[in-house]
Amino acid sequence: MSGKSKVTILRGGHVIDPAQGIDQVSDVAIRDDVIVDVASVTDADDATIVDLMGRYVSPGWVDIHVHAYGTLGFADPDSVGVYQGVTTFVEAGGPGIGTLDEFLALMTGLETSLYAGPFIRPMGLLGLNFIEGNVRTLGDVPITKWVDFAKEHRDVLRYLKCNAIGDYGPGTLNLTKGLAQILQLPLYMHIGEFQMQRPDHLLAYEAFRIAEKGDMITHLYHGNLGTVLDKEGRVEQVVRDAEKRGVLFDLGFGGYNFSWDIAEKSYAQDLVPYTISSDLQQFNVVRPVKSLANVMSAMRRLGMSLQQVIERVTINAARSISLQDRAGSLKPGMPADVTIFEVQSGEFEISDCYQKSRTADQQIVPLITYKRGKRFDVDLTRGQAESNWFLQIAEDHVPQAARSLTSRQRAFLGRLADALAETSWTLGSAESLDVEKALELQQIFHSCLGGEVSLREGLLAVYDCFVDHRFTMQIGLFIIRLEQDFALARLREVVQLAPMAA
Amino acid sequence: MEQMVATNNADADWTVLEGPTPTGKFPARGRMGDETIVVFRTKHGYRGTSKSCPHMLATMLMAELAADETMVRCPLHVFTFRLSDGKGVNCPGFRVDVYEVKETDDRLLARPANAPTAR
Repeated sequence: MSGKSKVTILRGGHVIDPAQGIDQVSDVAIRDDVIVDVASVTDADDATIVDLMGRYVSPGWVDIHVHAYGTLGFADPDSVGVYQGVTTFVEAGGPGIGTLDEFLALMTGLETSLYAGPFIRPMGLLGLNFIEGNVRTLGDVPITKWVDFAKEHRDVLRYLKCNAIGDYGPGTLNLTKGLAQILQLPLYMHIGEFQMQRPDHLLAYEAFRIAEKGDMITHLYHGNLGTVLDKEGRVEQVVRDAEKRGVLFDLGFGGYNFSWDIAEKSYAQDLVPYTISSDLQQFNVVRPVKSLANVMSAMRRLGMSLQQVIERVTINAARSISLQDRAGSLKPGMPADVTIFEVQSGEFEISDCYQKSRTADQQIVPLITYKRGKRFDVDLTRGQAESNWFLQIAEDHVPQAARSLTSRQRAFLGRLADALAETSWTLGSAESLDVEKALELQQIFHSCLGGEVSLREGLLAVYDCFVDHRFTMQIGLFIIRLEQDFALARLREVVQLAPMAA
Repeated sequence: MEQMVATNNADADWTVLEGPTPTGKFPARGRMGDETIVVFRTKHGYRGTSKSCPHMLATMLMAELAADETMVRCPLHVFTFRLSDGKGVNCPGFRVDVYEVKETDDRLLARPANAPTAR
C-alpha cells in the first residue's frame, strides 16, 4: 500500500449493519475513503485508532426526505446532514423541472451527499398550504425538458414527487405516475390534507391505488384528513393491498405529518414504515422533528427494535432510492460512510405534530459521522441555530456579502433592477400567490444573466443583496416575496457600492 | 409603527382592555369590545396581536418574543411576525393584526395599530 494511505480503525463498537446481518461488537477498518473490513482488526503502525467501547456503529444514515433547498430549505444544509449523523439525504420536492438548474448550480460543495426527488410542479414545492392544493399551480409539464434533464443528470434523480391532496384529482397522480414511468423513477407521494383544507374527495386513497411496486408513499402515520385508518381504527384495505404489491411506506415525520395516536394504532396492526425519514425543514427543525435521530427515537418508543430502526435508515433507505451500490452498508469496498451513536437511558419527551407527546426511556444520540472517511463531530445545535432556519430579509441593512460581489455581478444586478422596473408585482396574501408572476420574474432574472455571469453567480448575487445567511430559494419565489420598491432600491444601492479591492 | 395609525384625535380611539392588568402575567388575553387580543409586555413596551396565528390558528398566548423582543413567534411552526406592523417575516403572505397598548391609571388600553383588513 502507498505510504499516503490513511487508515482508521473504529475499535470495539457494537456494529449494527442489517445489510450484512451484523449485530455484534466488532472493529471497522477504513482506508482513505472506503470500508476495508468489519472484523477484528490488528493495529497497523500508522493507523488512527478510535476507541468506541460502549458505542454503536452503523452504516451512515440515509434520510430520503429532507428540505435542504428552496422555500423550506436551510442556510446550512449539512447541519441536518453530517452534523446530525446523516451521510446521504434526498431533497424531497424542492425543485421542479423549471428550477432544477438553479438547484444544481447552488447545491454544490456540501459534505453530505445530496440527491433530488423533484416535484411535478415546474417550480417545485411552494410551501404555502393554500397553493399546494390548487391544480392550476402545477402549470405545464414539459416532457421534453424532463427527458433531456434525466438523460444528462440521471444520477441526481432518485424519485418524482407529487402531493395526493387538494383538488388535484386522481388524474394528476396518474399524470405524475406516467412521467415517473417515462423517466424510470419511483413515484413518491405525499398523503394527508394540508391544514385547514377539507376537500370533498380524499386523494390519499387514490395514491395507494395508483402506486406500484417500488413506488413510495410518505407520511404513513399522519393524522390529517386521509389517514391510513378507517373510522373503526382498522388499517384501510387499500393500504394493505398496496403493501402486498410492494409499495414502500415512508415515515416522513415533518411538522404536520406524525400522530402518536395513528402511529400506535397502525403499529399494533403491523403497519410499519419501510423507511424512516425526517421531512426536516425550516419550520420544524426547532420542534417537533429536531433531527433524524429524534425521529428514530420515536420509532424505538413505538416499539421497533434498535436493529429495525437502523435497517430503516440504512439499507432500506438506500434500496428505496436505488443507492445500495454506494450507501446503506459497511461492506468492504463501500464508501466509508459511518455513523457512531449511543443510546442514552432516562426520561425523554418525544412530541408528535399535534401537541401530544410520549415519554421514552431511551434516546438515540449520534456522536461522530464519517463521510467518505472524513470525520465530523456531531453538533445537534447547528441545525437549531436561528441563522440556519429563520429566513429574514435584511430590510434595514445591506448584508456584508453584498460588499464582496464582483463587478460583473454588480453589473448584472444593475441590468436586473432595470428589467424588474419594467414589470410590477405584489406578494398579496398567502392564499393568492401569483405563480405566473413568479415565473415571469424568474424569466427576467435568467434573461439578465446574459452570458456575463454564471447562473450560480447571478443567484448568489441576488441572495447576498437581501439575506445575511445564504438561503437558496427558487429565484422567482425569492423575488416575489420582496416588496418591489424596496427590492429595486436595494439592488441599485448594491450596484453603487465601491468594489472590494481584489 | 406610529405613522400607520390614524391619530387625529389622539385619545379618542383607545379602548380599555378587559382582562389583563399591568401587574399580571404576560402574554395575556384581553378583550376590547367583541374582539379578543393577546397582549405582550416587551422591553420596548406593551403590544397586542390578533388572538391566533393565521397559519393553523394556534393561540398567540403560546407565542414567544423574538428578535430582541420586536417580533413574536408561534411555537408550532416558528411562523414569526413583526410587532411593528404584523407582517410575517419568514412566512410571506401571512400577517397578524397588531395593537398599540398603553398603561393608564393601572389599566391597559388598546387600539389597532394597523388596519385589520389591510392587504
